[in-house]
Amino acid sequence: MINYIFRRLIQTLVVIVALSFFCFYLMTLMPGDPVDLMVQSNPRITAEDIVRLRALYGLDQPAHVRYGRWVKDLLQGDFGYSRTYRIPVTELMGPKLINTFVLSVAALMLSLAIAVPLGILTALKPNSRFDTVVNFFAFAGISAPTFWLGMVLILVFAVGFKILPASGTFTIGEEFGFWGGLWDRAKYLALPAATLAHIEIGVFLRFTRSAMMEALRQDFIRTARAKGLARWQVVIDHAFRNALLPLITILALSLGGVFSGATITETVFAYQGVGKLVYDSIIANDFNVAMVSFLISVSMILFFNLVADILYGFADPRISYR
Amino acid sequence: MALQTRESATAEGPSIAAPNAPQFLPLWRLAWSNFLEHRMAVAGFGVILLMVTIALSAPTITRLSGIDPDEQNPLNRYLTPWSTVSLSSRQMESLMDQFIEQKPEVAKALQRELVGQGGIPVSAGGSVDTSADATGVERPEDALYGLLRLEKPAQKEILKKLSSPGKKDLKELLQGTTTLHVLGTDELGRDVFIRLVWGTRVSIGVGILVAVAAALLGLLVGAAAGYYGGWIDILLMRVTDSLLSLPQLPILIVVSAVSLSKLEELFPPLRLFVTPANESIVKLVFVVVLFSWMQVARLVRASVLSLKEREFILAAKTLGAADVHIIFRHLFPNVLAPLLVSVTLGVGSSIQAEAALSFLGLGIQQPTPSWGNMLFNALEIMQEAPVLIVVPGLLILATTISFNSLGDGLQEAIDPRALRR
Repeated sequence: MINYIFRRLIQTLVVIVALSFFCFYLMTLMPGDPVDLMVQSNPRITAEDIVRLRALYGLDQPAHVRYGRWVKDLLQGDFGYSRTYRIPVTELMGPKLINTFVLSVAALMLSLAIAVPLGILTALKPNSRFDTVVNFFAFAGISAPTFWLGMVLILVFAVGFKILPASGTFTIGEEFGFWGGLWDRAKYLALPAATLAHIEIGVFLRFTRSAMMEALRQDFIRTARAKGLARWQVVIDHAFRNALLPLITILALSLGGVFSGATITETVFAYQGVGKLVYDSIIANDFNVAMVSFLISVSMILFFNLVADILYGFADPRISYR
Repeated sequence: MALQTRESATAEGPSIAAPNAPQFLPLWRLAWSNFLEHRMAVAGFGVILLMVTIALSAPTITRLSGIDPDEQNPLNRYLTPWSTVSLSSRQMESLMDQFIEQKPEVAKALQRELVGQGGIPVSAGGSVDTSADATGVERPEDALYGLLRLEKPAQKEILKKLSSPGKKDLKELLQGTTTLHVLGTDELGRDVFIRLVWGTRVSIGVGILVAVAAALLGLLVGAAAGYYGGWIDILLMRVTDSLLSLPQLPILIVVSAVSLSKLEELFPPLRLFVTPANESIVKLVFVVVLFSWMQVARLVRASVLSLKEREFILAAKTLGAADVHIIFRHLFPNVLAPLLVSVTLGVGSSIQAEAALSFLGLGIQQPTPSWGNMLFNALEIMQEAPVLIVVPGLLILATTISFNSLGDGLQEAIDPRALRR
């Protein structure tokens, strides 16, 4: 087991390093480097200046040399400066990570609270009218494009009813005190969390339903019924406990998104999270920020994939690790 | 294993399928009746057929409606649905100028008839030269231009009375002076309806192209890995698994932000099939295919692993068939059915990926319309023109639901486990 975890950790690290080089290389292929931008903003720049600036930033070196230099700086704790915001990357990342965490956890809680009970109920009465309706909505939830659903929610709740703010993270320039501030955050959180939750609801629901149906078919359920246990006890204690297994895995998989951010949702709602940062920095050619946020995003997902695999082993002793 | 049972049924015909079946039906009939029972799948199939028809007939629709999808009209931005726009009087007059220049004889005949009928304000407006009347020289323009200034119902009234051969031309010209925007106009004053029609062509085309390309790639990789085994299998499956575990969107964003012109400096042959006009489409298809073949590869590998141990493969080998022959003629036909399902499901997710990337501004670039990039600009102005958001989104939703339920239906139709239910 330890051996397995160790090997997987090494594998994950290798993938992360390979990906970071891949990403670094791709970014050199993007239109415009920092000196190009300077040339655009300063028409009086001379050809000698350009050569000097390129040498200063190391842009005259081949990509792998620059990558080596970047990794060295990173390992020494120097994440570099953001070109757009002109502050250190670490300073920029902190609040964004917290924002993303709050948003994703809220969405995850919301989807679990809705999907698991519905999944159990539909599994108890498969092919009933209730089951069909719930299934249809789960299906539609999975099929609806996130960004579009976000826009429709804005249209309905922000433009139509005017009860929730359309975009942003919190009201800027106002003091509410602790509880007021919390309420303010919650209002800004509601729409993005609902948007982010819609796919997870569909996925969790279908998972819970199929896992419950599988569990309810087992012999021990018949035994539990035969010995006269209450219906809810059979369902909750015997069936649901066994259905939890696949749920744990899928939950751990979605935990990866907790820090990696939801680019599309955050962009639609202009929510200041990591996902939006990845997108914004790539578009704005903000090299250091793009690399760091991309790395965080990717490593989180890979790391939680690993956690999911390990958790699965703990939850189901029948699974062996080679 | 469900896969194995299905494979045996397709490989050896009804003799295996028969004991399970109530009647002696061929497998495809069983699958078909099973498919028909899946009502959502049938409905989805209908929607898809409709969409494909629209996509294929986009040029015809453009010709019939006479609206150019790229024509910009800054004066008529964000029109509400079902609004009519008429050309300015100057534009109308230049249209008439063209008509008279191209067909002077027809125009003269029409004019004579119009003057004979009366009721046309020949001398209305300042441009009419009164001296022409005095000298008795016929000027067909006067009556025809006068017709332009009339209200619509009056124009129709007069048109009805005409009998000369130019009537049809004139009618077409008059119809061309007003445009009905069924779904309003967008931020550049372009007609939303006709752009949606062309967007259907682009979105569905890209979706199907990506799904088919990904399936072919996955088929090759999966078959090679499953059939040859050994280090080829290990290598290919490592790549597949690591690609599968990657978070797609951040990587898609990075890859789509790459400028192809910088790549062309490195690989000049790229210039052969990439032009500025199709650059964004080529890039999008490439990027999405890159991340969507892995599921197919695993599926194919799994079925090939079980298939290659079976007798008909052994028979082919004994008869001296080459590996390529065995893979293409004996293995591929047996994985076609599950492949069909994953292509169908793949179209839905490809359309979504296209829409998501285009929505972020990294997919298909304007002026080529796609459902996703129509939504890209709509976010900013959703208060003024909610239609711009609702309609393309509904189309994406309807199409993905249709493809997903069609895939589900096909899966159940060809899966023997579903047959037993």
